[in-house]
Amino acid sequence: MENNQTMPDGIRPSADAEALLHLSGVRKRFGGVVALDGVSFALRAGEVHALVGENGAGKSTLIKILCGIVQRDAGEIELAGAPYDPHAPGDAKSAGIQVVHQEFNLLPYLSVAENICFEDMPRKHFGMVDYTSLYAKARKALDAIGLADVDVRRPVESLGVAHRQLVEIARALMGESRILILDEPTATLTERETQRLFTIIAGLRAKGVAIVFVSHHLQEVFAICDRVTVLRNGASVMTADIAATTPEQLVSNMVGRQLAAAMAAEKTVDTGGKTALSLRNLRHPASPFAEGVSFDLHYGEMLGIAGLVGSGRTELLRSIFAADVAVSGELQREGAPRSYRNPGDAIADGIGFVTEDRKEEGLILSMPIAANVTLASLKDVSRLGLVDKNKESRLTQKLGGEVRLKYGSPRDAASTLSGGNQQKVVLAKWLANKPRVLLLDEPTRGVDVGAKAEIYALLRGLAEQGLALLIVSSELPELITLCDRILVMSKHRIAGEVARKDFSEEHILNLAYKDERRHGQH
Amino acid sequence: MDSTDIDRSPAGRADFAAVSKTVLREAGIGLALVVLIIVFSVTTQHFLTASNITNILTQVTINLVLSIGMTFVILIGGIDLSVGSVLSFCAVVAGTVMTLPGLDPALAVTLAVISAVIAGIGFGLFNGFISAYWAIPSFIVTLGTLNIARGAALQVTNASTIYSFPAAFNAFGSRTIYGVPVLFLIALLLVAIAWFVLAKTVFGRVLYGIGNNEEAARLAGHNIFFYKIAAFTICGALVGIGAIIYMARLNIASPIIGIGFELNAIAAVIIGGTSLSGGRGSVVGTLLGACIIGVLANGLILLGLSDFMRQMITGFVIILAVILDKYRERLTKA
Repeated sequence: MENNQTMPDGIRPSADAEALLHLSGVRKRFGGVVALDGVSFALRAGEVHALVGENGAGKSTLIKILCGIVQRDAGEIELAGAPYDPHAPGDAKSAGIQVVHQEFNLLPYLSVAENICFEDMPRKHFGMVDYTSLYAKARKALDAIGLADVDVRRPVESLGVAHRQLVEIARALMGESRILILDEPTATLTERETQRLFTIIAGLRAKGVAIVFVSHHLQEVFAICDRVTVLRNGASVMTADIAATTPEQLVSNMVGRQLAAAMAAEKTVDTGGKTALSLRNLRHPASPFAEGVSFDLHYGEMLGIAGLVGSGRTELLRSIFAADVAVSGELQREGAPRSYRNPGDAIADGIGFVTEDRKEEGLILSMPIAANVTLASLKDVSRLGLVDKNKESRLTQKLGGEVRLKYGSPRDAASTLSGGNQQKVVLAKWLANKPRVLLLDEPTRGVDVGAKAEIYALLRGLAEQGLALLIVSSELPELITLCDRILVMSKHRIAGEVARKDFSEEHILNLAYKDERRHGQH
Repeated sequence: MDSTDIDRSPAGRADFAAVSKTVLREAGIGLALVVLIIVFSVTTQHFLTASNITNILTQVTINLVLSIGMTFVILIGGIDLSVGSVLSFCAVVAGTVMTLPGLDPALAVTLAVISAVIAGIGFGLFNGFISAYWAIPSFIVTLGTLNIARGAALQVTNASTIYSFPAAFNAFGSRTIYGVPVLFLIALLLVAIAWFVLAKTVFGRVLYGIGNNEEAARLAGHNIFFYKIAAFTICGALVGIGAIIYMARLNIASPIIGIGFELNAIAAVIIGGTSLSGGRGSVVGTLLGACIIGVLANGLILLGLSDFMRQMITGFVIILAVILDKYRERLTKA
């Protein structure tokens, strides 16, 4: 993209003399997974600097490094001209870096005041808490961010999410802060509280605090930020003054230009199969909208579900599988209405569910590979309630061959396998059941490139055999490579459908962000 | 034959390796038991005598039966604190039935056994249903049941002791075959059945699965609710059998028996290498754990230690067993 050339290509930290915080070439691996692959970033005092990127681009890892939760593998970080190397969250706090994390870190049964002052409780003699000054300190902190209407003696659990978020911010500001990092601070806020937060941010900026603002909401970035840095695949790919860029340009930098074409191998779109699964206004309990989700999935089809984190993709799969029972709407198998009461019903009706989290939901790590493979089909390898271990081993060997599992023995614990092979065990578990519809949630998360290619080939093979596949993925190239159609979700609804001929990351991302934009205009 | 083909395949051999790994795990506990036996045989005169061995086996029996049931519950990540009180309740129910006037002795005993097991199953169902349906930790539910069952036993009997059971029943309780108490043989049979259920059946497999990863088991289509209730019910049934064994041995049924039995049963299960967080362990380990507790108690008394010292040492052994298990876990993982 020509704009890319006119941008300061990459970042030259040494050139930015005003910078308070300097990062250059920061790298981090978790096992075999590269999380950060050369991040350079400069933060000036008194600026609001946006950090944007797709899911998994490395924003969270970068923040964890800055606040000392994880340590970088390589790269330089300078804070006010001196090397900065935090080993624990305390180091970051004493250096004046405060973070408001995406997940709440509040203590629900303690009062607002106790939460705000938890790191430095005022004391009286014998180490007793000095409640008078505790409440006074907390009151002052809340007033400072315009939260005069909250009683500091109230337990945090009685507050709504939005107020909790603001209390979290007040708590972060209790320490001496030179840098405030806000990780998706508006995700749980309403329009009004977001405006309140923006006012707080503007006030802090005026005092010379440097603010890092992480957000998926581009209109917010354009509303309050001075500069923006884009991360892609763990690397910083662009930094620009907000006035000199556009939302479209940010999206295209988040996505990257060159890959799409190469990945989109020829694939014959074949959706001529019979309808396998239809949803009509199916609504997960967490969905705020009664209209729910509606679509048809055909045999032999690979249907992708794209969307931001929290857009309701996993919840959709869980409600189809009755892992969470839908509150309203209808589900049809081959045109006939069904109401599954539990996963067992869904399995009996030919549905399989490869979950997002192998360790928590997919595998029983300490049990043998064979026991994992047959976990959902124990009836087939048993007689009169007795497990036939020979039959079980044979089935494991057969399916292990089909999914190209690399393993020692069917009796080895599943924990001995690599991530990619663990994922293949999860696939084998569902294939053992001979499903007709397979739901897959992030089927290649934490899987190395080689295993990824094998899983792609396997999934294509399954579709050719006539299975209906519904694939949720945060990696757009993955969906673009595999799918015949992609549905884009936003806030538990289908924001749009993209046919294979129209596949482009930009188009899909624009749909994913569509609601955000619309939301921002009024 | 089909099975020999499998055994010659690489997977079959590895199967054998995996099996021997579990055998090794239990061999460690067995080794500890053997060491204890050798130490006491050398240091005391009377340990290795036929009458003392009979004595130990008699003392181990009740705890062993309760520990078998406890193994099922702990394997699914639960715990049952109520077994001592429920044992007492089952015993007074059975005792009342057995001493009903005008019953033929054989019929009286049969009805008593059935009523004890039914009472145990009743409390097991109660524990399992409440903890599974309302997702209440079984620690809390069974703490409640502990009081309920004890209170019920006292209420039913008006706090009095029941005795004078049929003579044949009393005689059965002290019968031995080649010095081995018949009651202990019954307990061994129960161990064998429990081992079979846990190691060979689909039911056992799913119990292990739930103990390891409940959500994965649920998403694989298993009815967690049923399995949880079943584990507690099995435990309750075994408590009923334990109550009958207690009565056969001591010829009484009283609302104040069984106090603290739950802790001995938990100790046997833990010493036997079953993980308190569920999903790992075996009933063979539990057998060895119960024997270690029994041998230790007996040997220390023979050594002339006071009962208080014995209690302290047993406490240390429980802690030691768990520490050793941490190392064993590392070894088997490598």
